[in-house]
Amino acid sequence: MNADSTKKPEQAVKQSRCCTFLITDKCFAFDSNLVIEVLQKGVINKVPLASPAISGLLNLRGRIVPVIDLRTFLNFSPVSPSIQQINIIVDIRNEWYCFLVDQLLDVTAYDSHQITPPSNALLDVITGVLPTTSHLIHFLSPEKILKRLLEIKTRTLSVG
Amino acid sequence: MADNEEFISEFLVEASESLDQLDQDLVALEKQPHDSDRLASIFRTVHTIKGTCGFFGFTKLSTLSHHGEHLLGLLRDGKVRFNKTLASLLLELVDAIRTFLSSIESTGKESDISFPDLCQRLDEACTTTDTDSLIQQQEPVTSTTDSIEQSNQGNNPTSTPALDEIPKSAVVPELIQSDRPDSVLQTDSESGKENARPTNTIDATIRVDVQLLDTIVDLVGELVLARNQLRTTVTDEPALLDAVNRIHNVTGELQEVAMKTRMAPIDQLFNKFPRIVRDVAATCVKEVSLHVDGADTELDRTLIEKIRDPLTHLIRNAVDHGIEPTDRRTTAGKPPTGQLSLRAFQESGQVTIEVSDDGAGISVDTVRKKAIEKGLVTDAVAADMSTERIFQFIFEPGFSTAHAVTNISGRGVGMDVVRTNIESIGGTIDISSQSGVGTVVRVRIPLTLAIIPALIVSSGNQRLAIPQSYIQELVGLRENEKSHMIEGLEGAPVLRLRNRLIPVVYLDRWLGLREWKKRPHTGAVVVVKVDNHEFGLVIDAVTTSEDQNSHATETTGLWFIVVKAISSLLAPMGIYSGATVMGDGSVVLILDLRGITIAADIPAHARRAVDPQSKDNDFKEVRQEDSRYLVCETHLGRRVAVPLNQVQRLENFPESEVNPAGDSHFVKRNGELTQLIDPDKMLHTSKTSTPNDTNSDLVGIVLPNEHGNKALSVRKIIDVESGRGSLEEIMNDDCLLGTLLVGNAATEILDIPAAIRLLDGKRPS
Repeated sequence: MNADSTKKPEQAVKQSRCCTFLITDKCFAFDSNLVIEVLQKGVINKVPLASPAISGLLNLRGRIVPVIDLRTFLNFSPVSPSIQQINIIVDIRNEWYCFLVDQLLDVTAYDSHQITPPSNALLDVITGVLPTTSHLIHFLSPEKILKRLLEIKTRTLSVG
Repeated sequence: MADNEEFISEFLVEASESLDQLDQDLVALEKQPHDSDRLASIFRTVHTIKGTCGFFGFTKLSTLSHHGEHLLGLLRDGKVRFNKTLASLLLELVDAIRTFLSSIESTGKESDISFPDLCQRLDEACTTTDTDSLIQQQEPVTSTTDSIEQSNQGNNPTSTPALDEIPKSAVVPELIQSDRPDSVLQTDSESGKENARPTNTIDATIRVDVQLLDTIVDLVGELVLARNQLRTTVTDEPALLDAVNRIHNVTGELQEVAMKTRMAPIDQLFNKFPRIVRDVAATCVKEVSLHVDGADTELDRTLIEKIRDPLTHLIRNAVDHGIEPTDRRTTAGKPPTGQLSLRAFQESGQVTIEVSDDGAGISVDTVRKKAIEKGLVTDAVAADMSTERIFQFIFEPGFSTAHAVTNISGRGVGMDVVRTNIESIGGTIDISSQSGVGTVVRVRIPLTLAIIPALIVSSGNQRLAIPQSYIQELVGLRENEKSHMIEGLEGAPVLRLRNRLIPVVYLDRWLGLREWKKRPHTGAVVVVKVDNHEFGLVIDAVTTSEDQNSHATETTGLWFIVVKAISSLLAPMGIYSGATVMGDGSVVLILDLRGITIAADIPAHARRAVDPQSKDNDFKEVRQEDSRYLVCETHLGRRVAVPLNQVQRLENFPESEVNPAGDSHFVKRNGELTQLIDPDKMLHTSKTSTPNDTNSDLVGIVLPNEHGNKALSVRKIIDVESGRGSLEEIMNDDCLLGTLLVGNAATEILDIPAAIRLLDGKRPS
């Protein structure tokens, strides 16, 4: 074991972990280093005139955290009221954001060699896919999601 | 190495404070040249700077300080007498040291600039026996100079060559920048002064990273929220109740103390002004003495930084424009030295800063004349304006009453920037002045930006906070109360308040909070003022304090809310300036009224709504309803409709007042010619029916100002109706949007912008 790690030190670095979750029946993942915590439920305060993918603001122990509805953002149908969505709190450049997902799966270790580039180049927020026995994991970049959201906003503002 | 970086950044902080102190001391010494204590203090300060520079290997700076120290040594020992020339020279030295320090701060190295000329003049000053024939020394100065220099050199640790060898690479710029001197909070008002002189009281204060303090303030805020939650869920258990009450008290106190750490005396800012006044006065060749009062007034340190530029500008202005030259003062029977006074005090939760001078003052008539000349106001309106309002024109962009432009002020830029800066931190500024007697500029700013008084309002189940600093008044809307009604056309609803018309914005509709039809008929209007734009926000109700929250003042309904930044995701929306967390843990957005003024286009709204003619009877009021189109009949009997947002107002014109000119008709309104547009001509209506009434008047539908001075001329107004169904487009007519079921009949909808384009294209004016 010891010899193994000294032989290939870069492999230990590349062995990363991700936090996987479901939206509808599709599996997505964030790099688990970015995830701060997961909340079962949170009170979301609406923000009038914000873009549809922004559900509102969450009070997380005095921190005000914007909530991003991944279903809306990824163009899935709106969630049925019976489902209690899960809040994943993510750190993006020292600012906290909350992502709404349907169901939290697991924190899994993966080898970055196994990740293949996404087939759909249109969705640049998906940085790669990883086939596993149960799912096809889509890796999401929270930073790119944020960038997209900011772009959407400036576009609508310039039209209106 | 890392230690060295830390020391250097600490040195920079201390040195910059010392230099500020030097500025003050030198200006004071100029007035009282015999104050030997002060002189000794100046000497010590320069000596310390020189010593430390030598220690860190900043040789150039050390050499420069040495020249200054030498001169100061002679001054201290009474070998050279202090005078104005020397004061200027020494102040120049302070500036030179400052240049060096800022270069060290940004690059980590000494700059290549050296001041050989300054050094030479400093040396000359040491040897010159008599510059202003002020020196009446008994013993010859020159003879003692050498020995003093020698003794200075001997005592001086900086000449140790080994210290110069400290590598300069030890200085890492990033680290220094993160620790800028201006971000260091002085927890004790005395510390600034004490630092310049080594004393034992230094232990009473410590330097704390500002971020650490902010974290404490944040954490205390969270504690307050937790306490509030605890209080709402409290049981009958006496022991628990007791503990909760104690937590309540302690948390309250803790919050107060935590907030105090944000405060700093305004002294930090005020002590820069004697130097500025001195320099400006010297440039203008004027005699000015500055009185500072209330320098111990405390306010949020972030605000102190923000009022620095505006106040500096006001002070420069006062010296340059306010106070007259000495000869003019004497002629006017005033003492030759102008009095400038700077006063700060706390008043009802705000800090007031007054800059007053006993100079020439500003003539109301001059300002009024200038305002009219610049087209900011009409003659008639200006005549009724209060003096206070007239003086507000001084803050308009490009407004200057100065006859001469100097290099200090008078270009007309500045005062508007001053106002914008002050208002951006929720402050106000006003001027009062009497010609020949003087001017007082009063700046009022909030104590802190971290906690602001605000009104929490509800609109369509959404709670929102409106900062109190913008609020003028709150008007209740009742269905049967004629005096407070919202009226006007759909494009520009207005509130009639004491015979004034104030444009209003329906907050629920504007924010898309609920369907228009479901809005209640009662509610309230919060009248706010941003810059010079007054407008109303129609809300459902004002939320009064919850019982468990001790921060609300129940009598006024005002809340003291802790302002938190909203994410960079929402900030670009420009309509929320922040958010706050309520006692129940919910988040309430704070409206950015400045942003809303722009987003809702209040200035255009106001132009449309506020029209002196609107009180006349011929103004046909259309109640704000779910209406969309103004249906009317043309002179040839055609039924057409105009979208209501294209209608400014309706007016009756007697046919006799219509003047033909060329192939169009004009009518005179408000002293201006309004072009009449005949929809029949526009639509090429054939004579289908002849009008059978003998009404000699025609109805003018005045179009919004953006189209120029134009009105549609029709025979009569049928009604205001809402359209139903979808618009049927008509391909072959440019002036029609299409046909729509309006009221109960198919109606052609006029495309006003297209018609105007067509008209203007045909006959370019």
